Amino acid sequence: MAIGVKVLKRPDRNVSYVRATLKGLAITFRKMLEPKVTMQYPEEKSAPEPERGAWAISPRWRGTHRMLTDEQGRSKCVACGLCPQICPANCIKLVPGEDEHGNRYPLIYEIDEFRCVFCGYCQEVCPEEAIHVGVHYENAEYSRDRFVYDLERLSAQTHPVSTLWDPSDPKGE
Amino acid sequence: MTPELKGFLLVSVVKLLVVFTVTLVGVALLTLMERKVSAWMQYRLGPNRVGFGGLLQPAADGLKNIIKEETLPGTASGPLFMLAPAMAFIPALTLSSVIHWAAPLRIAFDFTLPLLGRFAYDALTPMAVADLPVGFLFVLAISSMGVYGIALAGWSSNNKYALLGGLRASAQMVSYEVAMGLSLVPVLLLTGNVALGEIIRVQQDNAIGFNWFVLPLFLSFFVFLISGFAETNRLPFDMPEAESELVAGYHTEYSAMKFSMFFIAEYANMVTVAAMVTTLFFGGWDIPFTRWDETPGVAQTLATGVVMFLKVFFWLFFFMWVRWTLPRFRYDQLMALGWRVLLPISLAYVMLIAIAIYLMENVLGLASGLARLAVLVAVNVVLGYVVFVSLDRGILISGSRGRRAAGGGLDRAA
Amino acid sequence: MSSDLVSVTIDGVVVQVPKGTPIIEAAKQAGVLVPHYCYHPSLPSPAVCRMCLVEVEKAPKLMPACVTTVADGQVVHTDSEQARKARTGVLEFLLINHPLDCPICDQAGECELQNYVFQEGREGTRYGDYAKRYNPVEDFGPDVLYVANRCILCTRCVRFMDDVAGTPVLNVSERGDRAYIGIDQDQLLDHPWAGNVVDLCPVGSLVSKDFLHKARAWDLDKTASICTGCSQGCNIMIDTRDNTVVRLRPRPNMEVNRHFMCDHGRMNYRWMNRGDRIEAPLVRSGDRHVATDWDQALDLVRGLVGQAGPAVILASGGASLESLGMLKGMLAGRPLTAAVQVPLADAEAPLAGVPNLALRKERAANGEGARLLGYSMEWDPAVKVAGKAALVVLLDVALTDAEAAVVAGAGAVVVLGTIESQALAAARVVLPVTNTAEEQGTFVNRDGRVQRYEQARSAPGMGRPAWWIAAEVQGAAAATPAEAFAQVAAAVTGLAGMTYADLGVTGRMLRGASAAGSRV
Repeated sequence: MAIGVKVLKRPDRNVSYVRATLKGLAITFRKMLEPKVTMQYPEEKSAPEPERGAWAISPRWRGTHRMLTDEQGRSKCVACGLCPQICPANCIKLVPGEDEHGNRYPLIYEIDEFRCVFCGYCQEVCPEEAIHVGVHYENAEYSRDRFVYDLERLSAQTHPVSTLWDPSDPKGE
Repeated sequence: MTPELKGFLLVSVVKLLVVFTVTLVGVALLTLMERKVSAWMQYRLGPNRVGFGGLLQPAADGLKNIIKEETLPGTASGPLFMLAPAMAFIPALTLSSVIHWAAPLRIAFDFTLPLLGRFAYDALTPMAVADLPVGFLFVLAISSMGVYGIALAGWSSNNKYALLGGLRASAQMVSYEVAMGLSLVPVLLLTGNVALGEIIRVQQDNAIGFNWFVLPLFLSFFVFLISGFAETNRLPFDMPEAESELVAGYHTEYSAMKFSMFFIAEYANMVTVAAMVTTLFFGGWDIPFTRWDETPGVAQTLATGVVMFLKVFFWLFFFMWVRWTLPRFRYDQLMALGWRVLLPISLAYVMLIAIAIYLMENVLGLASGLARLAVLVAVNVVLGYVVFVSLDRGILISGSRGRRAAGGGLDRAA
Repeated sequence: MSSDLVSVTIDGVVVQVPKGTPIIEAAKQAGVLVPHYCYHPSLPSPAVCRMCLVEVEKAPKLMPACVTTVADGQVVHTDSEQARKARTGVLEFLLINHPLDCPICDQAGECELQNYVFQEGREGTRYGDYAKRYNPVEDFGPDVLYVANRCILCTRCVRFMDDVAGTPVLNVSERGDRAYIGIDQDQLLDHPWAGNVVDLCPVGSLVSKDFLHKARAWDLDKTASICTGCSQGCNIMIDTRDNTVVRLRPRPNMEVNRHFMCDHGRMNYRWMNRGDRIEAPLVRSGDRHVATDWDQALDLVRGLVGQAGPAVILASGGASLESLGMLKGMLAGRPLTAAVQVPLADAEAPLAGVPNLALRKERAANGEGARLLGYSMEWDPAVKVAGKAALVVLLDVALTDAEAAVVAGAGAVVVLGTIESQALAAARVVLPVTNTAEEQGTFVNRDGRVQRYEQARSAPGMGRPAWWIAAEVQGAAAATPAEAFAQVAAAVTGLAGMTYADLGVTGRMLRGASAAGSRV
């Protein structure tokens, strides 16, 4: 035992077991009577403009993806291959192709939401601002294969997209 | 069969049905109360979906447990695995039969039924299923049986976590059994009887109708309460099922109704301990500062029943309250508290109370109940001060102090 | 010779280079890559891109490094304030009209404009309101698309067609910022070597139709290899993505193909990805083949090889030196006829600007190697002999139905094959072997240059190199291709003593053959 322990002399009120226990009991009893914070989920849902009693998830929330579309309803994706490259979970499958106008577009674009880690890199790397992570949390499905979202499904999502960072403080300072 | 025996049997069966029904329903509602209190103390609402305010939640849980799949681990020791929940369940429920739930009631009837014949009964009936003359000795004996169920469950599951949980439970219950038993000796000294009915009678039997043993035997109450927590495996003594260390302890491998039986046993034990604390130290069904409740009558029985319920309810709430206030003990602290603190305290307390009673009776010759109460309260104030100051300064329970003393040469080496 | 050497200082490094070397080449020796677009070591330099401007002390202004030859005692700064400013300016000019379509551009990731702008381009644009020039995509020929918008007018493609291919079909049309690369009316970019303009293009302006959108540059794994298209032995790079060969590109070798390869070789890769491969050793059982393990199959072959009687090897001309050599060693001691199959085309397709470079008539990579090892080129007589032989070993050859019928008359047929085919029906044992992309090995080209190739993709199923099978059957100690090569080389005069390490990445001439002598 080469280590010496110096025991500091501290005031009784700081080291008193009995007082601490009584104080603890008082705190728990007081908390029991205070208003509750539970949100009644199916009745109360996230609202974009929270009124009294409602609530909103953060605009920086990173949920399941959404593919934005242009005015003609086509996805904005040009199949550049950056998102499958950056994806740390390797959950994006992309096969590029060429449409009748010679434009590059994704023949297959699938995201396996089960493999996704929701890092948001795909949104950050996308040069066309096409793929986004969404402010969305209601993803339940009856079967696992429904969690592989294809291009059609991704384009059909309507939920708001994540800002990834706080718009008023983009550098996080 | 004599008409009197038939009448006695009839009364007993009715009492039996009422007590067990109320106990089982009470236990069910207790689980809801536990969840509600837990939730409120954590700023939550608790279960509120099934029935009004969640009142039917226990029914839903029960239904779920009944239709759930019963699992039997392939390596478990089959018959013992099946037996263990019953071993825990039966003693827990048995105990509720000796509790006096209200003031005695004179019941008299004499009637004849076709085929069954004449039933006759006329007696001052205690409101307990069985008013045993061995009283709390029976409680101590049967409550020790509960450990068999837990130890068996741990061993027969053939699972290391379950086994460790079972071992911890056995060690813990055996340890605190000792302190618990010794803490009740002063009660015996004061009452001169172990029958619970007699103990309640003594506690209302003085000039002001208030002789609750919590005043003259405060340290006994203190030791009994702590041991009660340990005996029921409640926080801060829930080492046997410490989920962060042992998954769930002895009932890891149990599912559905078998798990439910452990659950019911635990809550039934809580009810028993709460009722015992009330009976032994808070006058049982006694309404303080009045002697009205001592004359038998239907109104008195009902009123005392409500009072008993309120007292038990408070102690049940106290169990939950403490659960969300105190963190779990470390296992060595638990053992040290049992053997090195509570056991010596209760032993010494037995001696001191015995001496005090001897002196009061034979030297001072105090006959008045109030005077004796005053003397014992004075003794308890002094002793209580000493014990609590010691606890407060960490002289009695301090892990680091213990190790430092064991280390011996530490201070010199430094 | 020392009088021909001059000493120059480039970015503080003193190098000795021959007189007449352009600064840009001298800088490479000093470990400095001067950014450039129009300069290419295999093309004449017009100095039109102005990207390689460097500061030469005592020169009045910046000098283009690609055409300024070194002088003794010259001091060159490639990274001085002035030089950097000039390059940043050139890049800014190039980006005035260059679209920012890197996400859909095939060149992204290997684009010199992208790289240099990333290194030292301006951070933002000063031409925000200016509409970029737009020209439609033009179809130049069988495999080449011209995306005019991306063109930076370095004219490498024009110079390649004019000066190297000798078929001037490309030109610079229009002037100033309307200039683009034009193609002569009624002409196509269908020269047999035209595909090189895609490689030469520093940006994504000329793209290969075959490779279009197939893969991104950063997805590719690159493996040094040798073209199997003909006996020229051009050095190539096999680009694979997810174990699939997606394109072949030339690998510079000044002695063989400089920076070029022909379109025939460039497109000759699909067979490497074929899916209908033999994946396990097959043993004949009744009238069908049953898959088995290597031990059993090799035991069976050992038994067949150990018998007496004339044996015949019919091998592909694309088999490696190792495989051909070990296979012959396996049957040593028996009367042996060995021949390789070398398909012949009608004509050569030379590249005019480079001496001794052409798409050859012999469309097999290792005919010369087979000849060295004593294999005959007389295919039909060998097939006839095979029909009467006791044992015939086929190594990855495609037999016609008639030939297969002849071979079926042999005592026993052992096939070392890659592709499943009906012709294998007669075989007693079929063993899966790797193809050129799946193994290491060496070829000898028509000039006697021994060149190595590396493994680019994994072998299918249980496939093994043919040399490994032959070594196992005869119990020879050759666990690696290097050991197999050493064993085979030891028996051949021209190869004796060569090792893999000697061959390096550009190969080595056979002993007795001279590099200079074989070049015209």
